[in-house]
Amino acid sequence: MENVNKSFGALNVLKNINLQISQGEVVSVIGPSGSGKSTLLRSLIQLEEITSGTILIENEVLIQKPVPPSKQPISQQKRAQILSKLGLVFQNFNLFPHMTSLENITEAPITVKKIPLAQAILTAESLLEKVGLPDKRNEYPARLSGGQKQRIAIARALAMNPKIMLFDEPTSALDPELVGEVLETILALAKEGMTMAIVTHEMNFAKKISNRIIFMDQGEIIEEAAPDEIFNKPKQERTKAFLQNFLK
Amino acid sequence: MTLENLVNFLPALFDGLIVTLTLTLVSAFLGVILGLFLALGRLTKNKITEKACWLYIWVFRGTPLLMQIVFFYYALPLLDNRLSLPKWPAAFLALSLNAAAYFAEIFRGGILSIDKGQFEAATALGLSYAQTMRKIIIPQAYRRLIPPMSNEFIALSKDTSLVSAIGMTDLLYATTQISNNNMLPIIFIPSAILYLVLTTLFTFVFEKIEKKYSAYE
Repeated sequence: MENVNKSFGALNVLKNINLQISQGEVVSVIGPSGSGKSTLLRSLIQLEEITSGTILIENEVLIQKPVPPSKQPISQQKRAQILSKLGLVFQNFNLFPHMTSLENITEAPITVKKIPLAQAILTAESLLEKVGLPDKRNEYPARLSGGQKQRIAIARALAMNPKIMLFDEPTSALDPELVGEVLETILALAKEGMTMAIVTHEMNFAKKISNRIIFMDQGEIIEEAAPDEIFNKPKQERTKAFLQNFLK
Repeated sequence: MTLENLVNFLPALFDGLIVTLTLTLVSAFLGVILGLFLALGRLTKNKITEKACWLYIWVFRGTPLLMQIVFFYYALPLLDNRLSLPKWPAAFLALSLNAAAYFAEIFRGGILSIDKGQFEAATALGLSYAQTMRKIIIPQAYRRLIPPMSNEFIALSKDTSLVSAIGMTDLLYATTQISNNNMLPIIFIPSAILYLVLTTLFTFVFEKIEKKYSAYE
């Protein structure tokens, strides 16, 4: 099943990106700073507007630029419905500071999906268990460590039942000793069969979790292959050069 | 002689103080409500609304409040007889409309000061613009707005003294009347003290509010 098919011709930042991710697949996007990895993810969830190209989620057109003359641009409702299949976890968490952990997680289900409070709380509590923080339900983000905040952020995204989870450098803003707990949470999610796209610098993690690694540089996808291939037998020069930095 | 005379005039001063207080509270209240709509209008994507709000703020911040008060009381009837307003409505109108312009910019600044990531997180979760504003942005913004709002409020309480230009008996007018009619300029001292008491009271109240709302930071 095809989850994402994307062909781009965005100026400067993303150049002719063609990418397909299948259901249940875990894809890691690696590359140097400024390569467009984050923009790729953000364009998927429409936080950035593409200049041209098409994005399809589960074979439905999310956005198509330019709109072909025969078609109508999709309605706001349809767009929102498709977007609800995506969830995003940010590098700097972006938790709502004026709400407790529980409230952070229940906010969107209640406001957007109109789920009754009691039900939302039940779901939130099971998600808190899942990310290993049931005792933090009534804490405000200011009282949480970075790793805890990120795990709450993951629970918050999961509360909306996405089909595809996007992670934009989920551990880049964390102290090294807190990175592990977040990676474990993400790994557990992958094992459950969630379709994921992860932008990361954690190479060992990427190797372990991914079905496929995508290497980007200067807005283009340079190489994509299974972790073994790309780490041990990179084909492109730029891939080799980049991976040099991570050799032990 | 002086002290006894002064005491005789205190009731008149207190009457003036009531007027000043009333003008301040009502104009601030109306100004805040209108200011909020103007701020949201300035932030909307609708070009017409945005420009209209900008224009309003530009005019009311760009012209002297004294002129606005005089305009609503003296000038309006000259344009059309039916637009003649008594002193109180004219004063409320001028003060509220003026305050609204300043409050609007305070609110807009507060909303814009919220980290963009908050908006992005809300959007990624599927919240609409209105939902994001209502549940995520504004609740965070208003906590930050307390210092600048208290500032504007206190400025407003002193700006009310300009209504003496249209002959309304606020504290300043009462003071100048007493001084002129009785050759007693020293009356300005107790009057100033009353203004000081008023503004200090407001400052104190706002500090309490600020403390209450900094719970989670």
